[in-house]
Amino acid sequence: MQSADVEALNAVGKELDRVIYKLKDIRENAAAEIADVATLLEELMKVLNKAEQEMSGTINTSTQVDAPSDVDDPMADEADMQVEMEPAKPRLNDCQVKHVLDTLHKANERLQRISAEHRDLHGAVSKVGKVIDRNFVSDFTATTRVDALQDEENLMLLNKVMAKHYCRQGMDDVARLLIKESGMPEEMAQEVFDSESSFAEIYRIWKGIQQQELGPALEWATRYSEELIAKNSTLEFKLHRLAFLQIMSRGISAQAEAIAYARKNFGKFIDRFEHEIPNLMGCFIYLPMGIDNSPYKHLISPQVWMEASYVFMKDACHTLGISKNSALSVVINAGCTALPALLNIKQVMQSRQVLSIWNARDELPIEIDLDPEYRYHSIFACPILRQQTTEDNPPKKLTCGHVISNDALHKLSNGHILKCPYCPVEQNADDAVRIYF
Amino acid sequence: MAEIKSMEHSTLKVPYEVLNKKFRVAQKNLDRELDQIQHSSRDVENLITRTKILPTVDEVGALVGNVVDRIQILKRKAGESLLEELNAGLVCKRKIQHLKVIVPPDSNVCYDAWQASIDQWKRTRMDRIVIEYLLRRGYYETAECLARKSDIRSLTNLEIFHTSREVEEDLFKHKTLKCVLWCNDNKSKLRKINSNMEFSLRVQEFIELVRSDNRVEAVKYARKYFQSFEKTQLRKICKCMALLAYQPNTETEPYKTLFSEARWNDLVLNFRNENYRLFQLSTQSLLSVAIQAGLSSLKTPQCYSPNCKNPHCPVCQEDFNKIARNLPYSHCVQSRLICRVTGLPLNEHNLPMMLPNGQIFGQLAVPEITREDGAVVCPITNTKFSSPKVEKVFVM
Repeated sequence: MQSADVEALNAVGKELDRVIYKLKDIRENAAAEIADVATLLEELMKVLNKAEQEMSGTINTSTQVDAPSDVDDPMADEADMQVEMEPAKPRLNDCQVKHVLDTLHKANERLQRISAEHRDLHGAVSKVGKVIDRNFVSDFTATTRVDALQDEENLMLLNKVMAKHYCRQGMDDVARLLIKESGMPEEMAQEVFDSESSFAEIYRIWKGIQQQELGPALEWATRYSEELIAKNSTLEFKLHRLAFLQIMSRGISAQAEAIAYARKNFGKFIDRFEHEIPNLMGCFIYLPMGIDNSPYKHLISPQVWMEASYVFMKDACHTLGISKNSALSVVINAGCTALPALLNIKQVMQSRQVLSIWNARDELPIEIDLDPEYRYHSIFACPILRQQTTEDNPPKKLTCGHVISNDALHKLSNGHILKCPYCPVEQNADDAVRIYF
Repeated sequence: MAEIKSMEHSTLKVPYEVLNKKFRVAQKNLDRELDQIQHSSRDVENLITRTKILPTVDEVGALVGNVVDRIQILKRKAGESLLEELNAGLVCKRKIQHLKVIVPPDSNVCYDAWQASIDQWKRTRMDRIVIEYLLRRGYYETAECLARKSDIRSLTNLEIFHTSREVEEDLFKHKTLKCVLWCNDNKSKLRKINSNMEFSLRVQEFIELVRSDNRVEAVKYARKYFQSFEKTQLRKICKCMALLAYQPNTETEPYKTLFSEARWNDLVLNFRNENYRLFQLSTQSLLSVAIQAGLSSLKTPQCYSPNCKNPHCPVCQEDFNKIARNLPYSHCVQSRLICRVTGLPLNEHNLPMMLPNGQIFGQLAVPEITREDGAVVCPITNTKFSSPKVEKVFVM
């Protein structure tokens, strides 16, 4: 991860934290304010109820002509002429009216403030979006001149590659669903399941180690012990060490078992791991108080398991001569390395308006610096012309042993006579031989 | 430029758009509820001020009661929408944290452990990229299953695609309801990006009315909905209205296309695109871009010549070989030689050696291909040379 990445992420993180902080604040504030206003109004209700009770006692004898009468009341016609029989409703006095109006006014004002406060957040929220746009590339397309993943045939091939990958990872159900949903033809689907079976065992064991299950891994390592030692692999020791620590982590009661395990299994590693084994034995001192409270606690951290699974995957694949990574993951990871460089060069070429050069050639405009493990083929670039050799322009070995491309050879030769550009030897240009890497 | 900067825009932008949307929804909810409260408060005021006589306690009490009820609703709504908004913010934050996971090695962590954590992170990244692609292709169940199995649901955009899946399924069944709802839901944003999704939908509904020979209904429908599009889509509206004069089985263009069932599929594609634009997803998936860049950077002329293939090389494998056929080759200005027998690089510790047939191998491989009687068998061409002259080659 590069520092530019860290900076970009931090920039977004900072703005986002600001939003989250304010939002938490607003949320608490709003809840408190609303609750407060609610009690205010409930109190008002209480005051009104009380007033009603008090007043209905005092003025229920007074008569009111304009008191609301129910039109649906069957008595209404009869009661028409006479004085309203129902007790008069109590009315508010001026002071109470003022109180009601004031309270409502205040309540509304306070609630409006919540909304205003929330609206003010808008700036901070949209800033996050702007910072994301500024720091991250939104358009990573068009790094290639043709889009090979447009026609249906290639898309189906891609589905097949993906299905193979997940089959290899032991996720048969993902592969099966993909085959179903993409409507993959029968014979293609069959190929998927036939292709990756040798890897399945390795993957199962790998997954097992991640779930802290060592049995199958140890069994595998014992089976290939000789090959692993020949490759100077630390795998077997690392697995035994984990098994030992697993016993140790059960506490003092497992002491005898742990000692027995160490006696039985560490013997053959004494020469190669003369520093690690004393460390492990040192754990016994801390056994009563638990290893997680000891200076050795790094030995039982979850990372150790991840590391062991990684070493297993690497060494097991190496031992069996199969690729550690599926084709899909190699391609995607290579692509992830290549993309930033391609985007960069695209930007430069665009600003200098030379993008057409890219399109004119059948080659990427720059060299992609891939991991050495992703180099599968020899590539000879002519040291004179700085070009890769091809079938039409093959590499040639001069009689002095130096290698240049055929085109360079023709450019440098004068009739049949050629002087090697790297040493004083003069020779007949026809004596150069085609070579194959 | 760095990997995360160049590829993770949508990882952050999509949850941001969700946050932004939740913000607007929350604001709308607050304002709507406050309006209601103000409205019921005004009722009280009106009652008190409009009538000459003072109002009864009963009446005022009832109306104030309304205000109290409204405030309770506000309390619930505000609580809900602010919580949703906060959660959307936290989702963003979680994604940033996921991207930040890879830290440079420090002295406490050994090399293998550090490599292991990078390896794990790359695995997760790949699953993320694949899930996004699956969703774009509409392979929802596969995506769902993969997210569950690799336990990265929280890092994907499954939720957004979940809605779009429902809309798409609805459209496939020739129903417009869910899509109309979606249009309403995202109205302001769609207007901002100049989307014509809603118009296309309305046209489709109109077409269906004509198809089922409800021509009067169709006219009513047009009156109701087409007006708002008059400014921008007048020409298309004219064409649509002309449909009233044709039978669904007409052979006249453009009416034949308008009546065609395939228009529904176009709607689905149109919808998908608009949904990407809404969340600022690019039109090409990251998987497709990454795979093509990756294939190109791995592709060499040898991958296409039958006896130079390397079984470990992805581009040499049949499937990728076909996909990569039209992609550019990798570019290389500095020779990079690998021995085909040992797989080791050719350099000053492993000098390149040439057999009489021009095939080059590393010095370290020579014992491996030499038989006990001194004969050398070329592993590529299977030619046998008895005590050949193996020459040193100098590569600059």
